Amino acid sequence: MQFHFQQAVKAAILFAFSAMIYSFHVTGNITKLINPKYDMLSKAVAIIFLLLFVVQLKRVFTFSNQSTSYHITCGCCSHQQENTSLSIKKGVSYFILIIPIVTGLGMPTKVLDASIAEKKGATIMMTNQSQALTGDEDVATLNDSTEGHSVDPNLLEKKQEMPKKEYELLKQQLAKNPLVEMTDYVYSIYYEDINNNLLNYQGKSIHISGFVLKEDDFEQNQLVISRFLITHCVADASIVGFLSEIPEASNLEEDTWIEAEGIIDIGYYNNVELPLLKINKWKEIKIPEEPYLYPIDILISM
Amino acid sequence: MNRYAIKYFFNFWFLFLLILALFLTPSFYSNIPLLFAIGPSLLNLNTIFLSILIEALPFVLIGVLIAGFIQIFITEDHIQKWIPKNKLMAVFMSCIVGALFPACECGIVPIVRRLISKGVPIHAAMGFMLTGPLINPIVIISTYMAFGNDAKIAGLRMILGFLFAIIIALIISFSFKGTQFKQGIHINKPHAHAEKLPFNKKCSHMLTHSIDEFFDMGKYLIIGAFLAAFVQTFLSTKTLVNIGSDLPSSIFVMMALAYILSLCSEADAFIGASFSSIFPSPAILAFLIFGPMIDFKNTIMMLGVFRIKFVLWLLFIVIAVVFTLLWLAAPYI
Repeated sequence: MQFHFQQAVKAAILFAFSAMIYSFHVTGNITKLINPKYDMLSKAVAIIFLLLFVVQLKRVFTFSNQSTSYHITCGCCSHQQENTSLSIKKGVSYFILIIPIVTGLGMPTKVLDASIAEKKGATIMMTNQSQALTGDEDVATLNDSTEGHSVDPNLLEKKQEMPKKEYELLKQQLAKNPLVEMTDYVYSIYYEDINNNLLNYQGKSIHISGFVLKEDDFEQNQLVISRFLITHCVADASIVGFLSEIPEASNLEEDTWIEAEGIIDIGYYNNVELPLLKINKWKEIKIPEEPYLYPIDILISM
Repeated sequence: MNRYAIKYFFNFWFLFLLILALFLTPSFYSNIPLLFAIGPSLLNLNTIFLSILIEALPFVLIGVLIAGFIQIFITEDHIQKWIPKNKLMAVFMSCIVGALFPACECGIVPIVRRLISKGVPIHAAMGFMLTGPLINPIVIISTYMAFGNDAKIAGLRMILGFLFAIIIALIISFSFKGTQFKQGIHINKPHAHAEKLPFNKKCSHMLTHSIDEFFDMGKYLIIGAFLAAFVQTFLSTKTLVNIGSDLPSSIFVMMALAYILSLCSEADAFIGASFSSIFPSPAILAFLIFGPMIDFKNTIMMLGVFRIKFVLWLLFIVIAVVFTLLWLAAPYI
């Protein structure tokens, strides 16, 4: 019987990848990395890695007769240096493969913050009027006080996808509400509609939460109450949010999470017309369990 | 030091210089305070790096499994039969196969490598590689949704993307021959065991091949994901956007953005849409078409398979074709 060190290293790496993804799911850190909609996909990856690990185990130990037959059938592969000893090249490539496992298990994952928002050009996104977001949040929120309004509660059931008709209906009903309640679930629907039909919303009250974002060219009393919208993974996060006026804005640090009430008005930033929230009541809150918003699919009826 | 060690040493020098160059960009210097806050940004970097990796892994695994499948179950004779001798026909067919084949740009490199080693000509392989991630149902639907349920951008993305891919593959067919593999990757001789072995043996060989494929490609995926995350953490989009003031420069800026962000083609539509108020449609289309064809992550993976010269030429041809044709087509969009 022969022990193959390199094959053992490969097996260990495959197992470690599986374990890393499994640990993301157990700790819940996975929601800080990808849209929960793709949960199943990444679980499948953990399982495939485990399967490959089991297959790989067979190559760690070979009995001498097996070993020769294996190399006869498969020694012709294009995979480089199948049987050479551990060279520097191999060492380096295993080292690179281990890096994400080490940082994944060893370093805490972080919720995206204002510094990333700035890198992504937050205010550019904000001044964007025509953008049509068709997204939703599928996670329940604590302050879901939309009951009692004219919105059909059936429509507010958290769904990851809905037919276009239902979506339009929900949008219409939401637009009739005198109070704009920006819960996670309806956030992106309102966001799209407010940007597209600002005049309909002028003067309405709004209740919103998000983290504070500032730009150098803002007035003393201005800030953005913003959220990240994640399509697939945090690398494709885009920023949604409203320019807001709060008298105490200069005292508020970036990345502070606030809950605020105010009136929707029309304002200007860099000569672009955009919604401006005049905040009259606000309080600091803790960062929510689910800091991100996720878009949903509108089922296209053929 | 042996030959491989020396080569690796130089590869690392190249990467080191690349990172150094990124550090030296003016936009980085304007963010000097960031250097003091390196702790949190390092965590940001790690989070984005891991998320790109977690996002890409399903597609890479599918890619290596398909590559393993091709290796064991498909023989060179099959390929000879399927690929038309005529270059134009071969390119056309490969682009259609790519369009029907749902793939992500991170999973397609191992498949393409396996196809070429089985005897698929380089131009057909490139046609397949360019349309695979760009045209598929998920991309069409997500683009349609991201642009406010408007079919125009989604339609143009598919049609123009398909045309560009054909043109690029044709240019490749006239300028490159052979596999273009870098040294050290050997071309397969026909597998004697491909036909003889029982089915279950074949399956287990397919999986071991997939494992080796993963270890061949994995490191390039990780380096690519890391560099893409690095750029996202430290390079400001705003700096880029400020450059794009007129049509050609805005097309160029959006292509540069698509390249460095290295987004999955299924997820880039919303980002593209968020720029639609600052840039004209041709620039948005440049972002949506160029990104899936070639990006940072993908280039690093290709450098693991192909000669540097070929990868750079391919990059240049794709940039030139997408840029000039979109510029010319702009008045009609």
